[in-house]
This record gives sequence, structure tokens and C-alpha cells, in this order.
Amino acid sequence: MIISDKDKRTRRLGLVYSTPMGLWLSLFFMVPLLIIIIYSFLTKGLYGGVELPVTMTAYKQMFNPNFLRVLLRTLWVASLSTLLTIVLALPCGYAMARSKHQTFWLGMVIIPFWTNSLIRVYAWISILSSEGFVNEALKTLGIIKESLSLIYNQGAVITVLIYMYIPFAILPLFTTIDKFDFALLEAARDLGATKPQAIFKVLLPNIRSGIITSVIFTFIPIFGAYTVPLLVGGKDSYLIGNIIVDQVTKTRNWPLASAFSLIITLLSTLGVLWMMTSTARERARLKQQPVKDRDDLQINGTAIIESSLKNSTGGR
Amino acid sequence: MKHNRIRSAVLVAVAVLTAMLFLSSCSKKQETLYLYNWTYYTPDSVIKKFEQEYGVKVVLDNYASNEDMYAKLAAGGSGYDIVFPSQDYTSILITQNMLEPIDHAKIPNLKYIKPSALKIAEFDPNMAYSVPYYMGAAGIAVNKTKVTDYARGWSIFADKRLAGRMSMLDDLREVIGDALAYLGYSVNTTDLKQLEEAQRLINEQWKPNIVKFDAEGFAKSFATGEFWVVQGYAEGIFEELDPARWDEIDFILPQEGGPMYFDSMVIPKGAKNIDLAHKFIDFFLRPEIYAEFLDRFHFPDTIHSEAGKLMTVTPFYREEDFSNYELKNDLGKNLATYDAIWQTIRYVD
Repeated sequence: MIISDKDKRTRRLGLVYSTPMGLWLSLFFMVPLLIIIIYSFLTKGLYGGVELPVTMTAYKQMFNPNFLRVLLRTLWVASLSTLLTIVLALPCGYAMARSKHQTFWLGMVIIPFWTNSLIRVYAWISILSSEGFVNEALKTLGIIKESLSLIYNQGAVITVLIYMYIPFAILPLFTTIDKFDFALLEAARDLGATKPQAIFKVLLPNIRSGIITSVIFTFIPIFGAYTVPLLVGGKDSYLIGNIIVDQVTKTRNWPLASAFSLIITLLSTLGVLWMMTSTARERARLKQQPVKDRDDLQINGTAIIESSLKNSTGGR
Repeated sequence: MKHNRIRSAVLVAVAVLTAMLFLSSCSKKQETLYLYNWTYYTPDSVIKKFEQEYGVKVVLDNYASNEDMYAKLAAGGSGYDIVFPSQDYTSILITQNMLEPIDHAKIPNLKYIKPSALKIAEFDPNMAYSVPYYMGAAGIAVNKTKVTDYARGWSIFADKRLAGRMSMLDDLREVIGDALAYLGYSVNTTDLKQLEEAQRLINEQWKPNIVKFDAEGFAKSFATGEFWVVQGYAEGIFEELDPARWDEIDFILPQEGGPMYFDSMVIPKGAKNIDLAHKFIDFFLRPEIYAEFLDRFHFPDTIHSEAGKLMTVTPFYREEDFSNYELKNDLGKNLATYDAIWQTIRYVD
């Protein structure tokens, strides 16, 4: 009886705790999203805004070779920068997790956020331009005579995007790697794995959820980026984010802008769903393995390593 | 104990904040004029003089494009007393009934507005809803220390020797308009054949030499020497340059013509200080004050009959340079045609 009373109270408290968040989300996320969905099915007003009747025009306009090209370019830029970000962030997260000065390194990762992001993009302009720091340094060292074109192209956009979003990848990677039991790596080495094997067969599968989170945290914002391609990009760097802004402001086609925003939202939703299903699957997998008590975990972990190593060599 | 201390701290904070709000609202008896103008377009000295003479406060906000300004006004409740739209948006605001009429009796200095300027101002030739502010055009700035031999016209963008060192505005009306003017057509044409010809000219001859279409950072890049030739507005370009270097720059308004803009002062519906707004407009049109504005930005006197004589600096270009220029009109539905062409320029590498 006492327990059920307590249960009831906690349940009621749970409702109290979740209401503000629920209200917040429905007010500032669901309602705007609904507005965007509705706008995308309306007719464009001559001077911005939307009018009746309901139409599919915006979606028909989207199937235009020029837009498709921008969509493909955005996918390419976002995928490549995400991949490179993760590749760079993994060793960072690993080093931080193994370091004795974790708080210090965490601070170093967060420090760039003290400066406004736009100012940091302008700083990159003075780093990459033909009379910028990089070119001048290379010239002083005698490596080049003529300035390299480092800015106003896709390469510059990808470089700056990686710089902007790498903290968002390092932080989730750091937290998952920090929870990882490094004794497993030693065990893997004891069982005959080479160093790279230990990393790829033991570490990476165990920090999967962290990798997925960082992919989502970098890919989604990059997919909607618009200031970076506008400022450091050239003729080849027009992305979906730029279309949305231009359609709202310059060509006053709000339905089309809404339709493009929905694509980004849809993609983000798919990403989050992917993250949820894969973590759920992982949890289910872990549950299946008999863990008698916590002291057993070490041995159990070793067993996993053994079996995965066997699988890897046996496969060949 | 701890809880009590926190609670009393919160109470004190709330009390202090309320008191501050109350006090600040009490001291706000002074009249305030809210202006919403383009960036690099309002001389501080003029604002200060107006504040002193009338004992009021002026709050100035800036915008970077007509579209930004229009979006804010259309959303309603912007609270601005004077806004400075270009011709196409002035006519949109008039047709949409978003402006207060101008009371000519309150602005005696309207007599200084050039009749020739009003003839160009087809959107409101009788100044029923708008008073001219300035008329100008985007041109080409050339860094003479980097480029010595060049065409003083739009064909400079077809010069392969300058490839990778030139930028054009990220603005469909300006870029397409220049190409149309270069080909001898109207900058407001809706003739598909003429527009397609302009599209080919830009895509095949100009674009390969352009680094980027940019309306944000090009003036900074021009100042650092990254770009040698840029299309843009004189005031924005020279603002980024040390005056000691102004002689190094050739600012060109090509003789082939191009699109021109005509900015006006308008009072949006819902303005709270309509009377003060009229006073500001009248103050601004005083010859010596308008001359101060022209001096500040090195503008030629395009709309005022007297101020030009009082100027103390040489303008970056002359009024005569405008002879072949044409106002950009509101394209209405035809904007979609221009946008389709712009997509082939801007979206595709």
C-alpha cells in the first residue's frame, strides 16, 4: 500500500516535471513546424507571405534541375564535412578521455564558443585569403611564390564547417569514450589483437552510440548551414540554406522556402529515428547477454572481444 | 535557513528590477524618433544636431536590404517613424496602403527638391507619400595599384586577365540589370529573348571571371587587396578604405547605363511620432544639413537644388554619369522570370 502511494506521488510529480518541457516544445517547436507545413501547401503572395488556395506548386517547383543540383551539392558538402569532422574528433575525444586533465581539455574545446560564430568566420577569411596568414607564411618560408586560392571555394566551406562543428562532435565522443572500460583494450591486446585491431574491433563498436550522436550533431546543422557558404564560399558553394533565405527575402516565395525547410526537418527526424533505433537495438543486444553480476562484466567483456576477434579472423 | 536566504535574495532582486523599470519609464518623457535606414546611409553628425535643436532622442536601426525592411514593416508593430525604402518598395508600400500621407505644409523645405528628380520618381511624382532622400547607382570600383589597363565599362567583367579577382553583387536585379543595359535593353524588360541574351552574357562571359557573387564581405576583401574589381555601392566600398588610399580607387558608373535606385523618406502607418517625423524631414532638407549628408558619403547632389553648392568635398561620381541610368521598377509577377534566370547563374557552378 505504502509503495503504491509513493508510486502515485512520483507519477504525479513526473507529470509536474515534464509539463514545462512539453509546453515549451509544443509552443516553440510543434506550432512553428505546423505553420511551416501549412505554408508549404499555400500559394505565394506577390509581396511575400502566403495566400489561399491550397496548392502543391511549391513541391512541383522543387523538382527543378537547378534545385536538385543544390540539394546534391548540399548532401555532398554535409557528408564530407561530417565524415572529416568525426575522423578528427575521434582521436581528440579519445585523448581527452584518457587524459588526467579532462576539465582543462573540456574547457579548451568550449572556449571558441566565447566568441560570436560570425566573427570566427570572418577570422577565417583573414586566415585563408590570398594575402592571409597561411599564404603569407608559406611565402615567407619560400614554399610558394604565388598565392594559393584557399578561399571562396567549396574547400574553404568544408574547412570552416569542420572547424565550426567539431566541438559538437568531440563532446559526445568524449563522454562515451570516458565511460568505456579501457581494460578491454588491454584484454584485446593480451588476446593477440594488434593495436589497430583493438581500436577497430573493440573500441569503435562500444562507442557506437557516441559516434551516431556526433554524426547527427554535425550533419544536421551543416545541412542547413547558410552563413559559412555565403561568406567563405564562391560560385560553387550555394547550399539549401541559401535557397531558403533567398526565397524568403529576395524572391518572396515563402511556400517554396517552407517546402525546403521541411526537407531539412524530415532529414533531421530520420537521423534522430536512426539514432533511437540503433541505441534501442544495442540495448536489446546487451540485455540478451547473461550478466550475472557486475564483477562479471570484465570477464564478460573479454568474452565479447574473444568472439568478435574470432569472427573477424574466421571470416577470411 | 538556506532557503530563506535564497528567497529573500530573489525578493530583493525582483524589487530592484521593478524599481528600475518604474524609474526608467518615468524618465522617458523626452520624445523619441525611431529611424530605420540602410547601413552606411545616416550621418551621425546630422542626427546629433537634430537631437540638440529639438531636444529629442533619435534611435537608429539599420537594414541591409529592402526585403528585410519590408518584412519587418509587413509584420506590423515595427514602431518606426521614418523608413527609407527604394523606389520599387516605396511603390509597393504605397499600393499596399502602408504609409501615412506627407503633409506638405509641415515641410517648407520641399521647395528644394529638384523637379528633374521628381520627373524620375514616377512612383510618387507629387510626394504624396514619400520625400526623396537620395538617388544613386551601384558602379564598379577598380584598385588602380593592381590593375592599370582596363575597360571603363561593364565589359571589364569579361576581361580574362582579371579572372579570380572580381566580384559582383549577390543581387539579381543589379547583375541582370547591368547585362541588360550593356546589351542596350531596359533594366526592367520582361522580354524573354532579351533576358535570355543577358543570361548568356553573364554565364558565358562574366561569370567565369567572377570569384563570387557577394553583397556581404566584398568591400572588406576589396580593401585588403584580395579583390581588384568589385561591383558595389560607392559609400559601402569607400567606408572600408582608409581615406589616404581613396586616390588608388577608380569608381566607375559605366556609360552604357544600368539600374539606378531612388531612396525616399516615408512614414509608415502606425508611426507614433508623425509630427516629429515631418520635422526631421524638413530639418534634413535644409541646404546646409543636406550638404553635410552629401559630404559625409561623397555623394553628388542628385535630388536637392541648393546643397550641391555648399558641399566641401568632391563626390565619388558626378550626377551627369547617370544620364543612361534607369530606375529599377517593381517587377511584380515577372520577378519569377528574373529568378529563373538568376538560378542558372547562382545555383549552378
